[in-house]
Amino acid sequence: MSERPVHELIKELSGVLVQLSDKVLQNFILSLNAIKHQDVESARRIRMVDDEIDRAEVDLEERCLAFLALQQPVARDLRTIVTIMKINDDLERIGDLAVHIIDRMPEISTGMLEMFAFEKMGVHAGAMVKQSIEAYIARDRNLAEEVCALDEEVDVMHRAAFKKVTRLMKTADANVDELIAALSISRYIERMADHATRIAREVIYLVTGEIVRHKGDFYENLLESLEE
Amino acid sequence: MLMTADARESSQSAPAQKATRDIYLPPARKTVTGGGAAHISAKEFSIYYGEFEAVKKVSADILSKYVTAIIGPSGCGKSTFLRAINRMNDLIPNCHTTGALLFDGDDVYGKFTDEVLLRKKVGMVFQKPNPFPKSIFDNIAYGPRLHGVNDKKQLSEIVERSLRKAAIWDEVCDRLDKNALGLSGGQQQRLCVARTLAVEPEVLLLDEPTSALDPKATAKIEDLIQELRGSYTIMIVTHNMQQASRVSDSTMFFYEGVLVEHEPTAQLFTNPKDTITEDYITGRFS
Repeated sequence: MSERPVHELIKELSGVLVQLSDKVLQNFILSLNAIKHQDVESARRIRMVDDEIDRAEVDLEERCLAFLALQQPVARDLRTIVTIMKINDDLERIGDLAVHIIDRMPEISTGMLEMFAFEKMGVHAGAMVKQSIEAYIARDRNLAEEVCALDEEVDVMHRAAFKKVTRLMKTADANVDELIAALSISRYIERMADHATRIAREVIYLVTGEIVRHKGDFYENLLESLEE
Repeated sequence: MLMTADARESSQSAPAQKATRDIYLPPARKTVTGGGAAHISAKEFSIYYGEFEAVKKVSADILSKYVTAIIGPSGCGKSTFLRAINRMNDLIPNCHTTGALLFDGDDVYGKFTDEVLLRKKVGMVFQKPNPFPKSIFDNIAYGPRLHGVNDKKQLSEIVERSLRKAAIWDEVCDRLDKNALGLSGGQQQRLCVARTLAVEPEVLLLDEPTSALDPKATAKIEDLIQELRGSYTIMIVTHNMQQASRVSDSTMFFYEGVLVEHEPTAQLFTNPKDTITEDYITGRFS
């Protein structure tokens, strides 16, 4: 049976989302590179691309809202459109995080950056986003669950950065402004991994119809991380 | 009780069973006070037209005072199932049933069932409005008169109460003596609901009640269903899935005579358990 126009449209909206994810991910990786090399020109381009991402996010949301109003989807179709809208929101926020990173450029030196494993952390968080989108494309629940499990590794890296910043702040010649900037960058990357986890959970909802947020040990993990 | 007193005395049937089930209760809608017991229960219930099994071994509980929608493609047995509840199918030659269909625990197809009493308790509204070619007043008073109410004051009260319940009183109160056929289609349909309510039924069966109406009249009927929810057990057969999702608490999906799925409406329309249901409601049917 050939696809009905309505289902072709869902595919098209999915395609737009996947394209947007490529752009967002690339911009995020570029932002880490830009700050590493203090590349002002690259930072300017990142901001321009983020404006494009913002416009694309609004455009995709409007198309999804129109789809809901006009097609009144149910079941799998409804879950797909809702999932697209939620992932779209996550991607836009990841886009903002890339800009936040380059916003810290004037506040931090390359020397300070080298003291932290931001590149490794960024690669890890980026891989999570990529994998969560792959899980969306393949409607793969297992892959989505793997992404959720990976979040802890980024959290560990963020906690290590936090401890390092706390320790360095206590030294006599501490540059507090630079250390706060470093902590912020660590936090941005950690938040990107959180968005990847959210996307993965949205994929689990798409596949199973079950909302898995705030289930199981989510709160316990949160409390643990706060205690640390 | 569906039996006459004499018949009840001579009947050896098992005592009525009222199972309270909450698995079909809507997760996102208001709970109905005093509702939720199994008002109508089908147990391995089949309906045959001659050799052809139109409804196949359906087992389901219809909860009292809630709205149950029945959806499915044409010829799936949904209207046949609905009509079986007040034995409308008896009029069709060679139509017979197996299994059990219980109303308040009594067998609808039992030997001693009083069909007139059954149809008083289980009212029905059809696809096309079908008022009698009489005055508005006489349309509503017809049923009560049939059941022995002749006092004019009492009849007037019943007429007003029924028309008010069917949300049409304000539109017709100054022309009760006018012919009902002069009303618009939507008004005629609400009049038919009022006519059904006049004999104080417990169950309302609605067989595609808005398929002949425009969107405004449809909205009024849907609002009316919400008004009546909580007072009557309502079953509605509809081809309009948005309507089923808007008005019902639970939804039954029939396919080729089989009850494929019966779930709270919110669940069936967001995450159906069966792929056939999913394919049907998302329009992927081949």
